[in-house]
Amino acid sequence: MNPSPLIQAEGLRISYGGRLALRDVTFGVAAGRITALVGPSGCGKTSFLNCLNRLTDLIPGCRVEGSLRLDETDLLDPRLDLLAHRRRVGMIFQRPNPFPISIRANLDLPLREHGCAREERPLRIEACLRDVGLWEEVRDRLDAPALALSGGQQQRLCFARALSLQPEVLLLDEPCSALDPLSTGVIEELILRLRGRYTLVVVTHNLAQARRLADAAALFWLRDGAGCLVEHGPASHVFDAPREPETRDYLRGYRG
Amino acid sequence: MSRKDHGMRKRIMPAEHAEGRGRSGPTLRRPAAVPYGQARQLRDGGEPSAVLLNRAFRADRLAAVVVWGAAGLVAGVFAWLLAAVAFQGAARLSLAFLTTPPADAGRSGGIGPILVSTLLILGVAMVSSVAVGAPAAVFLAEFSHAGTRSGRWVRRSLDVLAGMPSIVFGLFGNALFCKLLGLRFSILAGGLTLACMVLPLFIRLAEEGLRAVPTEYRQAAAALSLSPTTTLFRILLPAALPALAAGLVLGIGRALAETAALVFTSGYVDRMPESLHDSGRALSVHIYDLSMNVSGGDGGACASALVLIGLLLALNGGTAWLTTHWRRKTYRV
Repeated sequence: MNPSPLIQAEGLRISYGGRLALRDVTFGVAAGRITALVGPSGCGKTSFLNCLNRLTDLIPGCRVEGSLRLDETDLLDPRLDLLAHRRRVGMIFQRPNPFPISIRANLDLPLREHGCAREERPLRIEACLRDVGLWEEVRDRLDAPALALSGGQQQRLCFARALSLQPEVLLLDEPCSALDPLSTGVIEELILRLRGRYTLVVVTHNLAQARRLADAAALFWLRDGAGCLVEHGPASHVFDAPREPETRDYLRGYRG
Repeated sequence: MSRKDHGMRKRIMPAEHAEGRGRSGPTLRRPAAVPYGQARQLRDGGEPSAVLLNRAFRADRLAAVVVWGAAGLVAGVFAWLLAAVAFQGAARLSLAFLTTPPADAGRSGGIGPILVSTLLILGVAMVSSVAVGAPAAVFLAEFSHAGTRSGRWVRRSLDVLAGMPSIVFGLFGNALFCKLLGLRFSILAGGLTLACMVLPLFIRLAEEGLRAVPTEYRQAAAALSLSPTTTLFRILLPAALPALAAGLVLGIGRALAETAALVFTSGYVDRMPESLHDSGRALSVHIYDLSMNVSGGDGGACASALVLIGLLLALNGGTAWLTTHWRRKTYRV
């Protein structure tokens, strides 16, 4: 469908302290789509995600080899400007992680850091909060601590915080796994609203969620103690007509 | 998961134990609350679990007695100490005592110059140990991973220093600050020596505090491409502030109590100091001198000890107040 993917991995290998965690991943992520990464725990989905914004740099002993490109940028280049790159690639974590400061300050801090003018910031904050559907809920208590919000609200605040920097790519690491079904529904609607404007890569353990959201899907699996990519393609192919036996078993809930 | 959680669990454990919840589980709780005699009747009723209940109840009761007894003992010793000091010293205590200079080698008069010297020494010690200790703690917690050689060596040397007897610090301070750097017996030399002594403790506590800040904040900050400086000053340090303050308070306590290290460095001249280069006598040195070298000085020693205790409590309270105040201010932005 899309001939030149936005993100392209070729023979990507990740190891922690010499132990291989993910081997030879070759696959592309199309711009403006939602790509779901599914598979059992410990098969390298989150490691792959962390490569995309080089959060792997924070992990001592982590080594990434192969080739990984975003547009024309080589993401594995040690001279890559990380601060600039991470502005292009936002991330939402498994557990909502707003800073222990006020709601307003959570959004104000990154905006100020990236040179947004003082007069402009309140407008941007309001726009971001509206974008994630949080404005009506918090407009009267912007100075309340962010940690006083409910889990779902905190996660939406994290979305707003990531969106405030106007990234191109948004990485979502099991964004709903710590939330109740209602909040999950709200977040899923939000993710669907963002489709087209951003390129979204979602790690999820919830297959029903992956079916609801994804345009494309990739199944990771564990072989000989290291993760690998088993199958990828349009979501309808992967979920409805899987080629590989592991995919079939996983979708039916069998262990491989 | 975080260290904070762990500390909280530890803290509530004794209370749980005292109520017998930790041992007997929810189904056994109600009978355990029944007075001893009635629990016996339960056993006579022939219910097989009643015997078990009774045993568990006795064990709980024993545990409760031990825990409460230990706590009571500690509180009792503290109360006794305070009462003994107050009994001998309270009569001498007055506003004039705090402001006038000592007379007749401290048998009469007050402790005005000594109080000033003490606060000056303490100020020098605290300013210099925070100035050196906070960056060192940041280095250890943020820039040296647990395994690296540099971090390991710094940590090991700090642990050795923390266990060093204070008299060794006194000799060291005398050799370095008084003689080598030419500060002679002075408040500056005493304060710097105290800083050397307090530093290991302060650095380790501050480092622990920084490490206890959840990794999620660091990840979030990195993912938002906040610079390391912003992350440190706007997120990590405010979050670690209570731990830093706790480290400082413990440091103040150790510095206030210090006698041996000061005798060799700030000296024991009891005149009002005119500058940091003057020799000055600290409260603890004054107490030591009165009770050991001056016959009939016990009343003055106890009154000075009361002032010392009061000073310690005031500094503790002041730090706690400042911490909450600053936190509230930073967290609102």
